Amino acid sequence: MKRKGLTILCFVLAVVWLSGCATMETSKKVPYRLTPQGMVIWEDEFEFRPPPPDWKLLRVETGENDINFGFTRTDPGPFPSLTTFAYDEEPFGCTAASFEGREREFFKRFLFNAILQFQILEKKQVQVVGGEGLAVLVEGKDPVKKEKVRAKVVFGKRGGRIVGFYITQWRPMDGSYDLSAFEIFDKFVSSFKFLKKSFYETL
Amino acid sequence: MEGHQRNLYLYDRFNARVVGVSRDDVLTLKYWGNGLGITFPLLSNITSFLGAYFHVSPQGMPIFARRTVIIDKTGIIRYVRDGSPDFKDILLFLKKLNQEGGKQ
Repeated sequence: MKRKGLTILCFVLAVVWLSGCATMETSKKVPYRLTPQGMVIWEDEFEFRPPPPDWKLLRVETGENDINFGFTRTDPGPFPSLTTFAYDEEPFGCTAASFEGREREFFKRFLFNAILQFQILEKKQVQVVGGEGLAVLVEGKDPVKKEKVRAKVVFGKRGGRIVGFYITQWRPMDGSYDLSAFEIFDKFVSSFKFLKKSFYETL
Repeated sequence: MEGHQRNLYLYDRFNARVVGVSRDDVLTLKYWGNGLGITFPLLSNITSFLGAYFHVSPQGMPIFARRTVIIDKTGIIRYVRDGSPDFKDILLFLKKLNQEGGKQ
């Protein structure tokens, strides 16, 4: 449950009122372009191999706890057969020092509203975005709704901050997973590159 | 609140401190803050006077609406935004305030 609250940032410097000049942000109709090699350049900031055309682009409003962008696909079969994967600059949790610490924090809130019973299927060190990372494969089950989800979360680092990639594949309890979607996700993650420093590194 | 926690090192860089205010009681806030790993102060304001002061008390609801307020050293409110915090906007604003302060 998200807390309703008020946050006060107390700035502790003497200042004077200045009427600053607001800069006009230029709107971009399409946030990406394709290279001749079939890679996507996203807002001149990320490069990655896109999924096949039957995957739809997924973007949500910016703000706390939202993904940067992702892709989704409706799978054959009854509800809730759906696969979604995403890149998230701000995955749940606060710890930046260790992937294991962040993993523990992350899974306190990951798919929290679904109230699932999670089981870790595999956890291993990986190489991602040019450095060390951690990949965690889990399965969550909801015996009441008779639904299940297979998910993989990959933590990596951008500058000093932990970033995340994740895929979720929902199925009815008696449905079977399509592991080829996870291979597409793995290609997306392994191809992912940062083309410039993050906002936080430039402050 | 997790986002603020992630940005504490940047708030330090810009000489800013963050405080969260909620209508929850102290024990609830302690439990919740520990669960998320929050290390900055969370203030319990069950009587809601701060909500009235900052105009974030929805009528008939025992909660505060989400609002981010930046107050400078002299006590002047310099920034007010409703809804989920836009951390990049907050950081850019603090950076600007810090630079202004450095020119004094």
